[in-house]
Amino acid sequence: MVRREIERTLRVIVQTLVSPVMSAALYIFIFGSVIGTRIDEMGGVPYITFVFPGILMLQVIMAAFGSSSSSLYFARFTKGIEEILTAPFSFAEMMFGYMFGAVVRSLIVATLIIVVGLLFGAVTLVNPIGFFLYIIAVSSIFSLLGILVALWAQGFEQLSVMNTFVIMPFMYLGGIFYSITLLPEVAQIITRLNPFFYFIDGIRGSMIGVHEADPLLGMAVIGGLLIGLGTLVTYLFKIGWRIRS
Amino acid sequence: MNANEPILKIDNLVKKYGEKTAVDNITLHIKRGSFFGILGPNGAGKSSTIHCTTGISTITSGTITIDGVDVVTDYKEARKKVGLSPQEFNVDIFATPEQLLDYVGGYYGMTKAERAPRREELLTRFDLQEHRKKKFQQLSGGLKRRTMLARGLMHAPELMILDEPTAGVDVQQRHDLWDYLRELNQQRGKTIILTSHYIEEIEALCDEIAIINNGRIIAQGSKDEFIKDGNSLESKYLEITKGDNY
Repeated sequence: MVRREIERTLRVIVQTLVSPVMSAALYIFIFGSVIGTRIDEMGGVPYITFVFPGILMLQVIMAAFGSSSSSLYFARFTKGIEEILTAPFSFAEMMFGYMFGAVVRSLIVATLIIVVGLLFGAVTLVNPIGFFLYIIAVSSIFSLLGILVALWAQGFEQLSVMNTFVIMPFMYLGGIFYSITLLPEVAQIITRLNPFFYFIDGIRGSMIGVHEADPLLGMAVIGGLLIGLGTLVTYLFKIGWRIRS
Repeated sequence: MNANEPILKIDNLVKKYGEKTAVDNITLHIKRGSFFGILGPNGAGKSSTIHCTTGISTITSGTITIDGVDVVTDYKEARKKVGLSPQEFNVDIFATPEQLLDYVGGYYGMTKAERAPRREELLTRFDLQEHRKKKFQQLSGGLKRRTMLARGLMHAPELMILDEPTAGVDVQQRHDLWDYLRELNQQRGKTIILTSHYIEEIEALCDEIAIINNGRIIAQGSKDEFIKDGNSLESKYLEITKGDNY
């Protein structure tokens, strides 16, 4: 199932890999060469180095969410899901199949963006293992959200609802492009209620070595979401919500 | 498992979609090695029964076992024992026949070394070799149908369920498929359940027949019993379903 998902990713390589890398390259160019040169250091590092993890996370999240949501929704739409339902998969295996396929796509996207970032001198990696684990954890969370949206959606338009009304606002307000120390105190408190803040803080911390949140709290938030979403998705597969008639 | 035990046991199956009852308390036992035909008009409950058996639909009440394995409580094991060639083309339409067979083999735990010869055998048997690299959506109706059949057979299941397997297939290919299905049943001992709108297909292939209408089995027996008065199966079928005014 994972191999099928990877081959599906490679069938539409422009959409799944080239597009996010192009997008990231533009962000890096604008924040590094255009705006970054006029901004002082942030978090003790050049602005492009500070903002690079956010650019990377943005694309990683979109890749994970897009992979699982489009794959499962399309399978529902074409009834291809029946091929999975009649196969000897446990409900957890079904979840892991979609999730791992999405995580692999995210890891490929992350690797390609790091290569682009290296060309712009934007990459530092103080904790490679931590970075790898955070990327896997964050992409897993968004692959699970993608599955949930794919199960819920009754039309193609609804697939974009999550992206438009949840992912984008929470991401941009979670501190991917700025340090929350720049915000008023009330806004800082509100930001700390945003789980995206902990996602970016974990990835950024593993890259530049500076955390704005307690890493243990961040890991708890990420772990809690993984367990909660994983349990919910497995349960929905078990009862066949919107996939079994 | 006792060889005399039915390979498929459906007991008191009820399937409802909201308020609509699609399958109304069906009990059906299919013996190992038989070629079993299910006839019935559109919406009779044939596909719903198949969907409950294969896991596509949930069961409202009743039990189904395949080779003694419950399809709900031990669903993973039950799925391994059955292959389905569904009425609808429920595949990734951008995948090729070669990929579709390979994926399904993987789903059923076949290693790469096991998948390759089996895939080649089926691609050859169903005349799909020259189309193996084409996307499913580019195939003709007949080629799609053959791909679906090959996919259902990939893991060599003991029980094969064929839901309208020759719809859209030309006459020559249909007869070729019949030969292959007979070989599967008679020489390899596979149990086959066949639904078809072509009554002559059921008559040519099946040794046991059930007629379903309005979600119930209204007649069941050997083919010989259905045609014992010199009637064709078609005339007998029309006679039975005409009188079934529920």
